Amino acid sequence: MSGSVGKSVPRLDAEPKVRGEAVYGVDFELTGTLYAALVLSPVPSGRIIGIDTSAAAAQAGVRAVVTAEDAPDLRSGLALDDEPLFASDTVHYEGEPIAAVVADSLKAARRAVSDVIVNIEESPPVASLEAALTEGAPLVHENWETFAPVPGLPEWPRQGNVVGEMTADPGGVDEAFAGADHIVEDVFVADRQYQAYLEPKSATAIYEEDRYTIHVSHQYPWNVRSRTARALGVNPSRIRVIGHHMGGGFGARLDVGLEPYAALLARLVRAPVKLVFDRSEDLLTCNSRENAIIRIRSGVMNDGRIVAREFLCDMDCGAYATDTVFLISIPIFLAGSVYEVPSTRVVARAVYTNTTPTGAFRGVSGTYLNFALERHTDNLANTIAMDRREFRIRNLMDDGHRMLNGQILTDAGIMRTAFAEVEAVAPWADMGKGPNRGVGMAATLWLTNPAPGQVTLKLDVDGTLGVITGASEIGTGAVAMGVRQIAADELGIDPRDVIVTMPDTDVQGHDGGAQGSRTTHIVGRAVREAGTGLREQVVRAGARLLGELPDDVEIGDGHVSVKGEWNRRVTLAEVATQALYDVGPLVASGSYATPTPKYDPDTAVGLLFPTFPTPTYHVHIAEVEVDPDTGLVTVLRYVVVQEVGKAITPEGVIGQIQGGVAQGIGYALYEGLQIGEDGRYRQRTLEAYRVPIALDVPRVEAVLLEHPDEEGPHGAKGAAEPPIVPVAAAIGNAIADATGGAINRIPITPEDVLDALAENRED
Amino acid sequence: MSAEFSMTVNGRTVTVDVAADETLLHVLRDELLLTGAKEGCDEGECGACTVLVDGKPVDSCIYPAPAAAGRTVSTIEGLVGSDGSLTPIQRAFVDGFAVQCGFCTPGFVMTLTALIEENSKPTERDIREALSGNLCRCTGYSTIIDAVLTATEERS
Amino acid sequence: MEFRTVGSIEEALACLADVGDEAQVVAGGTDVMIQHMRREINPSLFLYIGNLCEMEGLTKNGSHAIGALTTHRHLATDPLVVAAFPALAEAASTVGSWQTQEVGTLGGNLCNASPAADTVAPLLIADAQVELRRASGVRRLPLDEFLLGRRSTARLPDELLTAVTARPPGERCGETYLKLGRRSAMEVAIAGLAVRLTFDAVGNVESAKVAACAVAPRAYRAVEAESVLEGSRLEEGTVAEAGRALVDSATPIDDARASASYRRHVLPGLLVRAVATCRERAVEQR
Repeated sequence: MSGSVGKSVPRLDAEPKVRGEAVYGVDFELTGTLYAALVLSPVPSGRIIGIDTSAAAAQAGVRAVVTAEDAPDLRSGLALDDEPLFASDTVHYEGEPIAAVVADSLKAARRAVSDVIVNIEESPPVASLEAALTEGAPLVHENWETFAPVPGLPEWPRQGNVVGEMTADPGGVDEAFAGADHIVEDVFVADRQYQAYLEPKSATAIYEEDRYTIHVSHQYPWNVRSRTARALGVNPSRIRVIGHHMGGGFGARLDVGLEPYAALLARLVRAPVKLVFDRSEDLLTCNSRENAIIRIRSGVMNDGRIVAREFLCDMDCGAYATDTVFLISIPIFLAGSVYEVPSTRVVARAVYTNTTPTGAFRGVSGTYLNFALERHTDNLANTIAMDRREFRIRNLMDDGHRMLNGQILTDAGIMRTAFAEVEAVAPWADMGKGPNRGVGMAATLWLTNPAPGQVTLKLDVDGTLGVITGASEIGTGAVAMGVRQIAADELGIDPRDVIVTMPDTDVQGHDGGAQGSRTTHIVGRAVREAGTGLREQVVRAGARLLGELPDDVEIGDGHVSVKGEWNRRVTLAEVATQALYDVGPLVASGSYATPTPKYDPDTAVGLLFPTFPTPTYHVHIAEVEVDPDTGLVTVLRYVVVQEVGKAITPEGVIGQIQGGVAQGIGYALYEGLQIGEDGRYRQRTLEAYRVPIALDVPRVEAVLLEHPDEEGPHGAKGAAEPPIVPVAAAIGNAIADATGGAINRIPITPEDVLDALAENRED
Repeated sequence: MSAEFSMTVNGRTVTVDVAADETLLHVLRDELLLTGAKEGCDEGECGACTVLVDGKPVDSCIYPAPAAAGRTVSTIEGLVGSDGSLTPIQRAFVDGFAVQCGFCTPGFVMTLTALIEENSKPTERDIREALSGNLCRCTGYSTIIDAVLTATEERS
Repeated sequence: MEFRTVGSIEEALACLADVGDEAQVVAGGTDVMIQHMRREINPSLFLYIGNLCEMEGLTKNGSHAIGALTTHRHLATDPLVVAAFPALAEAASTVGSWQTQEVGTLGGNLCNASPAADTVAPLLIADAQVELRRASGVRRLPLDEFLLGRRSTARLPDELLTAVTARPPGERCGETYLKLGRRSAMEVAIAGLAVRLTFDAVGNVESAKVAACAVAPRAYRAVEAESVLEGSRLEEGTVAEAGRALVDSATPIDDARASASYRRHVLPGLLVRAVATCRERAVEQR
């Protein structure tokens, strides 16, 4: 078999995309579509006194004005059922939907939105983590006790504004601190980060035969199905979700967005309804990466050993719980790993505020957790005057490392290889030399999302292979390259002869969505499972056509041939055509979900996301230069060594690394969604919210460390999510090195850099 | 009051009658159904809506539509040859893994088409500067820059 | 609303005389369209002047006049402009992106009167005057008097800004514009500084012109800093003193882009760099 796995094969969806022909969610139109716009709360906190829709309803072209009165009286959520579709009595964040207008045109709908008169008695917002956690702070939800976990999820510790608390305390931590030579304590603060995918959110829905069909560009159509069903109070099978090309997502399109509104409106007006956000609505309401405060304290010995640690983290989930109650589990996987820390206590909390609900963004919480851990690691090394790299190697985990959840990492020693690879490409001693320059390093492990996937393979009469899967192509190429190449190799055909469906929840089996780098690993594995079944059928059918026994034929190069007789062969097209009337179509299915790794449930309380499956290992190094007059930072060099299991498409993986690092550079230096004391975002456009441009990002160097995983297809693990994780830390460490001062905030502003320089001068 | 005017779009003369404050982007997308130009920000920050007006790249999302009266507009749909073949820039994007989600791609291709029209051998710095107004959130830009370098090397 | 395209300056002036109060003049549209979509303006007429080629480009007819419809791209790349007004060319090259520079005009940048408008500071150091025409005549106003404050100018509703006249640097003179932003481009200035220094035969600063933007409601000439520099040989201490004077003259605000204190902090460093560049350019020129 020639094989495309391991080769960089250009993706087929690139052609329609460079031609401008690819239809994205915002481009999709149904005949007879009406357009909708949402009335968003102009204030972060207050009581709704009244909503007057009459003026809006009277506008030309307006078909309906919809409020909470027209929607099911339900609250739902990802983990906790706390969020209604429309605010009715109170508003909890600026941007919370209060009403919707449906009109003949998008312009008419948007115009009429300003004619909906909402009378709100404002109240002072709980605008920050500090404010929410102050004793006697006003409750964001006075009725928080009435909220129930989603069906199937057990209760967890929560109280008032603290909507989730995860505690892992193995005991003996304080005693371990008592024996330390030095105790180092740091506090780190991270602002929010907006995903800033280029295609704003949209949804188009139609209601027919008592079912809702929703057209989306979404990372996780099956979640749209279940979340929309729960928001509307109907069974999931009443919802059909069809995916289209997607203009990025980076986590923001994992939870439900505009879809339940579009569905509800389509039923109410009995016509297709399209709902599209403009950029400022999108930014204002987007489930951005949460802001957080991290307090970390470690005990270290003069010989360089870390002996004790306390890790406290507060994450701002905004006005509703969303997925943050899951994210408070993540610190348990990071706080005591990469470097051995024998005794570690972790407490993480998700906290309600009167701000836009936060949510998933590539490298969920890992970006700032790693920033805190790796900045702190530098501080530990500096405290005992040990070289920062040497200190890391000194404390590095090895094969058999036990994570704080009791999960054993059998192959953690690969991290040593990764450090050695970095040294080979970017020798520590040569980096960051010269005035105003610095070098920083950061390492992490990251998971491959274990959620299930399913694939059906069908061999068509023309010899092409159909891959019927609900997997979503978010842009990474996991479907367009990874799944396609893996499928092609099952029959030894050209990847161009593989046709992959778009997601349609009526057609395919459940898919866990484009998240956590899972698609190549999980869906690729499901392809292999299906391929085993399909190959058996092809061999039997081919053998019959050749007049041989199945054991005596083989598949390769688009043919079934007699073993040892290369010239006695039939094409796959001939096999499929003949089989059609002999045994029926050649179709086989496969499913896969990562088995839950063994762990110890007694290690923590409130651990809703208990394991870290299929981990990968990462070391980053950054070299920067700071401008002492302006505090501006230039990233001179950036090197990534990433363990990937097996790279199905090496250029594709490198593209993920380059893109992930660019987002990490944005996070570290340019972005930052700040919340004012008034509870409103200070950055409200892409002019004020700065995404890095081509001049800001260096050529990122990537080294792929192959280390095949037993369960992965051809050994592949997840690759796309983690490159963002260590970037802020590596750059932060480099800036701290260049300035000689503390760098404890994300984003690192020019003012922070100037302050760090000034601090160094004072010392 | 609406505005009626004619312009040449991808070689064809079209006459449209649109609201006086309409943008060129909305005319292209909603009236002419040329959806290759994308609306990413509606305020000239992201470049996803880039088209060429009289050969020059503009953000069509903030270009007053009636200002295009009598002018020549080129969109991504008009780039390919009559046989459907890709331009060297488009080909290099496909072969060079410069497309991920692809939503920004038409805008990048249009800006770069204008660039190599003006400067057939741009340096990496020239390319990065020319792309200041085109945001890509997926690639980190390196594959895009390499694609331009490849395309211009092959041209010369 | 109505979109009216005019074919001549006279036609534009007639229109403004008629309905100037309700009209919004549009050239490139890069500011106007955004403000219109955000409902910051609500005109009943867009008066489109983008076809008036007689208002484009630099003309040297006794004085140097730059047509109001000259685009930023033109300013940044036209060898005539680059030679005559290097700081203005530098400033224009930093306005937004290539896409916005292709259509955005000098006149639009001035009439928009953003505190961070890049072209204003380099024109202030060139003693620029604006030419305002109306159906019944023309008046010339120093740019300094034209700009009243944030988003406010002395243009009357029936007037059209048609051209800007300015004085190029003379002998033994160098000028530059420095812009500070977070990203490497696509930035609204956090601070901008235009400096023009003229030296005498022995290398003393004969005349100093310093203008700053984005650190006050409008760009302004920092006359105190100028007088510190004048007569000096740009000694380190003198430039530092001028830097302090520059900081004293600034009245920046905190906004989403940067804090007031940061804006103050960076000014002296920018001045050091700017005067060094001016000196180099003055020497090169010789």
